[in-house]
Amino acid sequence: MSSRPRLFTAAVVVGVALASPALAHDGEGVAGGLASGFLHPLTGADHLVAMVAVGLWGAQLGAPAIFLLPIAFPLVMALGGVLGVLHIALPAPEMMIALSALLLGAAVAMRIRPPVVVAALIVALFAIFHGHAHGAELPSAADPMAYGVGFVTATGLLHGFGILIGALSRWPLGARVIQGLGATIALLGGYFLFIGAGVAG
Amino acid sequence: MTRRSRQAGVGALFLLLSATSAKAHIIGARLGDFYAGAAHPLTDLRDVTLWVALGMLAGSLGASKARPLLLLFPFGLAAGVTSAMALNATSEGVLLAAGALVLLGALLASDLRIPAAALGGLALVLAAMRGAANAAAIGPETNRLLFVVGLSIAGYVVVTLVSAATLAFRGESADARAWRSIAIRALGSWLAALGLMMGGLALAS
Repeated sequence: MSSRPRLFTAAVVVGVALASPALAHDGEGVAGGLASGFLHPLTGADHLVAMVAVGLWGAQLGAPAIFLLPIAFPLVMALGGVLGVLHIALPAPEMMIALSALLLGAAVAMRIRPPVVVAALIVALFAIFHGHAHGAELPSAADPMAYGVGFVTATGLLHGFGILIGALSRWPLGARVIQGLGATIALLGGYFLFIGAGVAG
Repeated sequence: MTRRSRQAGVGALFLLLSATSAKAHIIGARLGDFYAGAAHPLTDLRDVTLWVALGMLAGSLGASKARPLLLLFPFGLAAGVTSAMALNATSEGVLLAAGALVLLGALLASDLRIPAAALGGLALVLAAMRGAANAAAIGPETNRLLFVVGLSIAGYVVVTLVSAATLAFRGESADARAWRSIAIRALGSWLAALGLMMGGLALAS
């Protein structure tokens, strides 16, 4: 092989090896449009575990909580979102989100069965803080409406995922697994709380 | 230069001089404004979410209550866009749209069985409002009739398909209805949540 074909082959190999996907649209990685909104609750572990815990708790409590919590949560979360959009500050929002994972996970782990109204109020309180965190990023999104559609959909799907896993609680072994998941979520919530307190302090 | 190459040159020159712009898509042809009218609301999430919410509400209330909407909604859209053009008063109506979405979502989430007349009235008002909002896309060169027909047909198709899909999803048997109606109610709460945030954004901007 002469030097020119060798050079050409080497250039092709280097070109292929260094290839990366073409990103035709901006908004990647920042609050921008549907994808960013959808990924916001999924990429924030504190949001993710708390949303799954809501679904798990609803499944554990059974009717009517199983449908009342996922129906009430997005509505109250949106109220928190409006507060975030309007830049109305809430006390220690990140700590409250971590606390939501801790308490909701603990409720699942210990199979706490309060009256439905009390469970709904607890969930609603935390929903405001989760919504506030999402809403604060809404105005800076490339398409705020699409961002809203994305994060509401992701939140609802996480609840559904939690309810789906919660169906395991029909069987004794499954119920133990659910409690174990609740304990894990509570531990993660404690960790987030610890980290948050460290940063704040 | 041979005779054949001269002929080829003349032929190529003739083809080049007679060239016109290629119209690969019908949107650039005679019916363009029809497609503009149909596509305009479908590219705006405000319209899409409201139309879907109305279709879902109609479907969740049953076939007999949903049926009048198939005429009322496109008629309301046509009336709204025509009135806005006549009065030369177009408005985005973001806060109104947000309020309507909250109302429709809340009705779905609460599973409230509203009467057919209330549903029809709601659909007419909503359609007229969104028709007026879509009138903003009509320019001086737009064929207004084609635009209005496109908008109305898009409204008819979306509301018909969504209400039919909701009706089919809801099912007939009591067992199936139990969890499926919960899913519809949960979607209603999502829509109401979107309406709340849409309103918040409108207030913030």
